[in-house]
Order: sequence, then C-alpha cells, then structure tokens
Amino acid sequence: MPQLVHKPKRKALLIAAGALGLVAFGALSGAIILLSGAYSTAATTQHFKVTHQVLDAGLRLSVRASARHVRAPDLDRPGMLARGVACFRTHCVQCHGAPGVAPIPAARGMLPIASNLTQTAREWPPEWLYYVTRKGVRMTGMPAWEMRIDEDDLWATVSFLTRLPVLTREQYRRLATRAEDLTCRTPTGVPFEGSREYAKVIFRQYACHSCHRIEGVVGPRAHIGPSLLEWSRRKFVAGVLPNDERNLIRFIRDPERVKPGSLMPRLEVTEAHAREMARYLLDEGAR
Amino acid sequence: MSLRALIAAATLVLTARQSSSDVPHRITGDVQRGQQTIVRLECGVCHVIPGIPGARGRVGPSLAAYRRNVYIAGRYPNLPEVLVRFVRDAPSLAPDTAMPSIAMSEREARDIAAYLYSLE
Amino acid sequence: MSEMRLPSALHAAPGSGAELLSELGLVLYCGAGIIFIVVVALALHATFAKPSPAGTRAWIVGGGIVFPLLTLFLLLNYTLAVGSAVAALESGTALQLLLDCFGIDAQKRIPPPSPGTMRVHVIGKQWWWEVRYEIVRGDTSTAVLANELHLPVGEPVELLLTTTDVIHSFWVPSLAGKVDMIPGRTNRLILRANTPGLYRGQCAEYCGGQHALMALYVKSQPRREFETWLQRQARSVTRPDDAFLLAGYEAFFKGTCPDCHTVRGTPATGKSGPDLTHVGSRYSLAAGTLRNHVGTMAGWIAGAQDIKPGNAMPDSEIYTGRELRALAAWLGSLE
Ligand code: HEC
Ligand code: HEC
Ligand code: HEC
Ligand code: HEC
Ligand SMILES: [Cu+2]
Repeated sequence: MPQLVHKPKRKALLIAAGALGLVAFGALSGAIILLSGAYSTAATTQHFKVTHQVLDAGLRLSVRASARHVRAPDLDRPGMLARGVACFRTHCVQCHGAPGVAPIPAARGMLPIASNLTQTAREWPPEWLYYVTRKGVRMTGMPAWEMRIDEDDLWATVSFLTRLPVLTREQYRRLATRAEDLTCRTPTGVPFEGSREYAKVIFRQYACHSCHRIEGVVGPRAHIGPSLLEWSRRKFVAGVLPNDERNLIRFIRDPERVKPGSLMPRLEVTEAHAREMARYLLDEGAR
Repeated sequence: MSLRALIAAATLVLTARQSSSDVPHRITGDVQRGQQTIVRLECGVCHVIPGIPGARGRVGPSLAAYRRNVYIAGRYPNLPEVLVRFVRDAPSLAPDTAMPSIAMSEREARDIAAYLYSLE
Repeated sequence: MSEMRLPSALHAAPGSGAELLSELGLVLYCGAGIIFIVVVALALHATFAKPSPAGTRAWIVGGGIVFPLLTLFLLLNYTLAVGSAVAALESGTALQLLLDCFGIDAQKRIPPPSPGTMRVHVIGKQWWWEVRYEIVRGDTSTAVLANELHLPVGEPVELLLTTTDVIHSFWVPSLAGKVDMIPGRTNRLILRANTPGLYRGQCAEYCGGQHALMALYVKSQPRREFETWLQRQARSVTRPDDAFLLAGYEAFFKGTCPDCHTVRGTPATGKSGPDLTHVGSRYSLAAGTLRNHVGTMAGWIAGAQDIKPGNAMPDSEIYTGRELRALAAWLGSLE
C-alpha cells in the first residue's frame, strides 16, 4: 500500500524539479548572453526571418484588437485631403517617403525600417491607420502623434494615406506644393483633464524624461536638467521665479524667455499640456 | 567557460561605469574640509545635500549625485572652474538667481566643489 | 562665534549664579560619592568579617540616625544658602550669618536689584524670545530685539520673564539656573557675568513642536561697548540709498512681512514676529537655529517652514530670485 502512494508522488517531484531546472537553465543562459554582451544591439544586424514575421503578425493582431472600437468619420469631406497632405509632408514623409520621394538619410538606417505606407494603405483599413498614427508603435521609431496632431487632422492624415497608393509622382508633387501654406494643427485641449496617468503620457510624449527624473515616469537616470522629484516642495522655478502653476507653465513653454541662457530647449508645449504637467508636478505632495 | 565569461562581463560592466564618469571633474580641493564648510555655511537651508546633516532645503535644486550633473544652474557646463565661481558668487553668473553670494575664500569654494564632485 | 562658551552648567562663567550652583553640584556629587564608598565598604565588612556583637548599638544609632541627620542638616542649609545667594534676596542678619557659615562672600552673591539696576523684559513665545530693554535716563526710545541679550561685564541685570502663550523656561546654563516663564506671572532673574563672553541658552520647558529650536545668545561685553550697542539697537532705520538694498526694502513691503514684523522708522509695525530693526546685527536667526548671513537669511525667508516646521512664519511665495536676494541683503544690512 505505501508503495502505491509513494510512486506518483516521486514522479510529480521529478517533473517539478525538471521544470524548475529548465527555468533556471533558461534564466542562466539569458543572463550569460546579456552579461557577456553577445547580443548585438547594432542596427546593422538583421532580424531572423521568422522573428520578423512573428513581430509583424504581432503588430497586425494587436492593432486589429486595439482599433476595434475606432469608427472612421467621413474621409471625403472638402478640405480634408489638403490638410492631410500638410500633416503628411510636415510629419511623415521624412521617415516613410512618398510616391517618388525617398525617406531622409537618417530614416533609411533604422531597424525596423519605416514601412512604405503606399503598401500599408492598400492593405489596412483606415481605422488601423488612425490607431497606429495616433498611438505610435513601441520599440520602433514610429512616434505617437496624438500630442502633436489634433483629432481632425489625424483623420485628415488618414484620409490622405488612403489615397497614397493611387498617386503618381507628379500628382503627389502637386498636392504637396499646394499644401505648402497649410499648417498641421496641434491639439488645443486634453482628453482627460486632471488625470495623473495621462499627465505621465504627456511627459513622455514631450521627452521630458530624457533630461529629468520625474515621479512615476520610467526613464533613464537623466542628469541633464535638475531632478523634478518632490517638485511640489520646491520654492523656485529654475532658481528665478516663485514656484506656482502660472510660472511653471510659463517656464515649461518657453524657458529662454523666463531665464535667458537657459539650456532647457523650447519644446513647443501646448498651453493645455503644460498645465497638465504643472498640476501633476505641483500635486505630488497632495497624494 | 560560461562562469569565467560571466565574471569577466560583470567586471567589465562595473569598471566601464566608473572610468567614464571620472573625466571632467578633477579639482584641487579637500573633500572633507568641503563637507565641514558646507555644514558651517549652512547651504542645507536651501539644498538637499547627501552627507550633510539636516540639509533638506528646497529653495534650490537637490545637489545629490552632483558629479553626474551635466549643467550648472541650467546655464553652464558643469566644469570645475565654473562650479567654484558659482558656489562663491552665483549672481555674477546668474543675475536673476535666488542663490546669494555667500562670503567664502577661494579655497573654501574649491573644497566645496570637491565635496560636491564626490557625490555620485 | 569663536568666543562662544560651551553651553554647560559645568562651565560656569565667573561671577555668575551658575558658578555657585556648580560648586553646590560639586559638593553634592563628591559628598554622595564618599558616602557611597563608605556604605559599600561597610556592607563588604558586614558580609565577610567575623560577626562580633560588640558596638552594634553604636553603629545603629551613629550610622543610622546621627550621621544622616547631621549630613542632611548641613546639606539643607548649604543648599538654602546657595539658593538665597543666587536669588538676589535683600540682606538680613540671619541670611548674612547663613552665607558666612558656608563661606559665600559678598562678591559671589547676586545682589538684589537697586533702583539703578538695568531691567530687561524677556518674553517667551512659541518659539523665540522677545527682548525689550528698558532704557532709563529719560530716553523714550526702546530697544527691542529677539533671541539675544547683551550685558555689561560685572554688572547685575534684572530680567523680567514672562510669556504670551505657554510655559517656557529661561536657561543659560553657564550663567544661572532655570527660571520658568509662566502665563500671567512675571518671574525675575538677575544675571551677571564677570568676564566678557558669548553664552548660549535654551528653552528648558517643553513648549511644543519646535521647543528644541528655541535657543538664545547672551553676550557679556565691556560697559562702553555695551552702551554703543544699546544705542544702536534703539535707533530706527531709514530707507536705503543703494538701488539693490532699496529693491529689498520694497520687496519687504510687497510681501506680508509688515503684518508680523516691526522695523522701526518704517511703516512696518507688526507685532507677532520678532522686531527686525537690527536683525543684521544678531548672531543667529530664528532663535539660535541658523547662523546669520545673507544665505541663511534668504533661505529662512523662502523656506521658514522647511527649516522650523510649524513655526508662525509662512514661507514667502511671491519673490523672484533677485527680489529674495535683495530682501536678504537689506535685512542683513540692518545692523
Ligand atoms: C521617425 C520616423 C517616423 C515618422 C516621422 C513617422 N513614422 Fe510611421 N513608422 C515608423 C516606423 C519605424 C514604423 C514601424 C515599422 C514596423 O512596424 O516595422 C512606422 C509605422 C507606421 C505605420 C504602420 C505601417 C506598417 O505597415 O507597419 C503607419 C500607418 C505609420 N507609421 C504612419 C505614420 C504617419 C501617418 C506618420 C506622420 C504623421 C508617421 N508614420 C511618421 C517611423 C516613422
Ligand atoms: C534637452 C533636455 C531637456 C528636456 C527635454 C526638458 N528639460 Fe526641463 N530642464 C532642462 C535643463 C537643462 C534645465 C535647467 C534650466 C534652467 O535652470 O534654466 C531644465 C529645467 C526645468 C525645470 C526647472 C527645474 C528647477 O530645478 O527649477 C522644470 C520644471 C523643467 N525643466 C520641466 C521640464 C518639462 C515639463 C519638460 C518636458 C516638457 C522638460 N523640462 C524637458 C533640460 C530639459
Ligand atoms: C537662499 C538659498 C540658497 C542658499 C543659501 C544656497 N543656495 Fe545654492 N542654489 C540656490 C538656488 C535657488 C539655485 C538655483 C540657481 C539657478 O538655477 O539659477 C542654487 C544652485 C546651486 C548650485 C547649482 C545647482 C545645479 O543644479 O546646477 C550649486 C552647486 C549650489 N547652489 C551650491 C550651493 C552651496 C555650496 C551653498 C552654500 C555655500 C549654497 N548653494 C547656498 C539657492 C541657495
Ligand atoms: C504670520 C506672521 C509672519 C509673517 C507674515 C512673516 N514673519 Fe518673519 N517671523 C515671524 C515669526 C513668528 C518669527 C519667529 C519664528 C521663530 O523663530 O520661531 C519670524 C522670524 C523672522 C526672521 C528671523 C528673526 C530673528 O531675529 O531670528 C526674519 C529675518 C523674518 N522673520 C523675516 C520675514 C520676512 C522678510 C517676511 C516677509 C517675506 C516675514 N518675516 C513674514 C512671523 C512672520
Ligand atoms: Cu520650550
């Protein structure tokens, strides 16, 4: 009797040990590869074919799921195409190129490479194009545009993308020239006022965390600008103005005007975005 | 073999970090004296400064990890000579700043700079 | 600051009440030490020596009744003598006899106040000390300052100790014993120091969150120097000429500072904070919390609540960097 109870138990133990061993082996090999520096981060090495296919499929599936609730408006309204062209030529053509136009040199060496959108536009529904344009693609060079292009013009851009596959070199050139005087509009408000989570997105979307340490925002341990941790307790903005919401917004939007010679660049922050960031920083203590 | 690679890799990672942050901050000043001077002049009323008792002021920025700071007062590159001058007479470099010019000797300023550069 | 004396009752200033107190302390400690040694010796003897009934009664009566009575009688009287010597009592024959018995000569005694004795009001506040000199010789001007007291060397000065809020206790260990400041009462203390020096005092009765940061300085200085100082403290100030200092002066009135602070000679007549007329001349800021220089001054104005949390002065929140520096420079120039 005792024998019978014993045997399956030992088997289970063996299986568990084997599983643990495998995990440990995996972790160890991972650590060795990482620590030895054998994994290349160079942009000149290419993905394995299968890696590429998996990543591509992953992107499509993820976009499909995320764009499920997006509803495209009428994309043929008058004036829409022209504004779409304006946005595309200010923000997109550098990386993605256009009919008869190459991407700029910097964009040609990226891994993953910015796709040629003429093909994407043939294969993807407008909702997907909208979603990716708005939110960007993480771990690739595709930025999110929701902080820089307002809702209407995002759809205008999509409207233009859907025409891309049918344009000749000459037609594109003419459209682009005609759109030269048009500007792509930036958003004036924020979708969620007073949201701390959204404020964190804003910080990241303006690259603040590339120079500052900010509560709740993951980034490099940057020491370019002063740490903004525990900001609400600070008495001065940049050592020159009393630390209140108005002055903070002023400084974030135009450092040089508040403090001549300041090495913090002007980041074209909208009033609404600056206010959300200022409130986030000043509220810290209140949590 | 893998163990050796691991150790080699680990040491490489550690040494690489130290040598790279060493370069621009050579200064002739005494770290310990600098610490005492900071205590005596009570810079801590305006700054958070690691290693200085009671230094938790919030009038100016925190001076933690000062060695790694790229800029001084957001205007000048963080070079020893600039720092010495700024510590002694901030308004001469930044007329609109809230940091006053606190009376101290050149040597005291050097000691203070040396102490700040000892903060990793 | 190098002349600062150790704030310690064991380092009493010559000629001060603290000197007598520290002698008393010494006698008590040494006496108690000797008694302790004798008792231990007797206990050891009782444990290890052969029992012998002879003299038991004498030991009990001698060691148990006569010795303690005698010792306590002497100590009690010595304590009373020292107590009266530092309490600045009027002389009487009995008191004189008591003092003579213990060799406390007239020189060491703290004399009772005479009509010529200078009087200073010291008022405890959470968490600082207001100091008001009564200026005699018909002068109507007043010298009001904070957290600092000056005495002419060798002369007794009478302090009238009061409080406007809770109980505090005035204690300058090197100069005198503690005297409580009790709401609704005026307690008196006569201070005297026979050598010049700078002494630190401390509130010795828990009075709230920042009790620990409620210190003060007492400076004893030669008579001439003292008079110059006092005259300067009584003077009022004028608008500065220098452009930078003028910016500081204007910043002071741009803020809420005048609501709480007086600067004599200007429209600032606030009463709830220290008189700032000569704040630049003080050794410390915020009741011994900070040394006094332009950096600590600016730091205090901008961050009083970080430095001394809960104190009655708010952080100023309206100044630009330059205004703060100018304000600190102007206040510092008020010597
Ligand atoms: C800095 C370069 C850059 C800019 C500027 C840029 N993109 Fe991209 N874009 C990329 C990269 C890189 C990818 C990712 C390709 C991948 O997933 O492999 C991408 C992907 C896309 C995709 C998904 C296409 C696909 O087939 O995966 C769309 C749609 C897109 N971008 C639209 C835009 C629009 C619209 C703009 C202008 C508003 C824009 N992009 C600006 C670099 C850029
Ligand atoms: C390229 C680097 C860089 C970026 C990006 C950047 N900053 Fe700065 N920031 C600086 C520098 C350098 C300073 C110091 C400038 C000064 O004092 O004049 C500074 C100063 C500040 C200060 C004042 C700090 C203090 O101690 O008083 C605030 C607040 C601030 N930045 C917020 C932001 C926000 C919000 C963003 C994003 C919109 C941002 N910064 C993006 C470099 C940067
Ligand atoms: C009255 C408050 C005050 C005092 C006292 C003070 N500082 Fe400052 N300090 C500041 C302010 C405000 C700044 C920011 C200046 C600017 O950006 O213009 C600053 C900036 C600095 C910086 C540059 C910081 C950076 O991020 O680049 C250093 C270094 C510094 N102070 C050191 C000191 C030392 C050392 C002392 C004592 C001798 C001292 N400070 C005393 C207010 C003060
Ligand atoms: C609400 C009343 C209030 C206001 C407003 C106020 N103070 Fe004060 N201040 C105080 C009190 C109370 C103290 C003593 C604090 C302590 O030591 O605990 C003080 C202390 C000081 C001291 C130190 C004095 C000393 O001798 O130690 C200075 C300097 C000072 N204040 C300057 C200012 C300036 C400048 C302003 C305006 C920006 C200001 N105060 C505004 C109440 C106030
Ligand atoms: Cu107290």
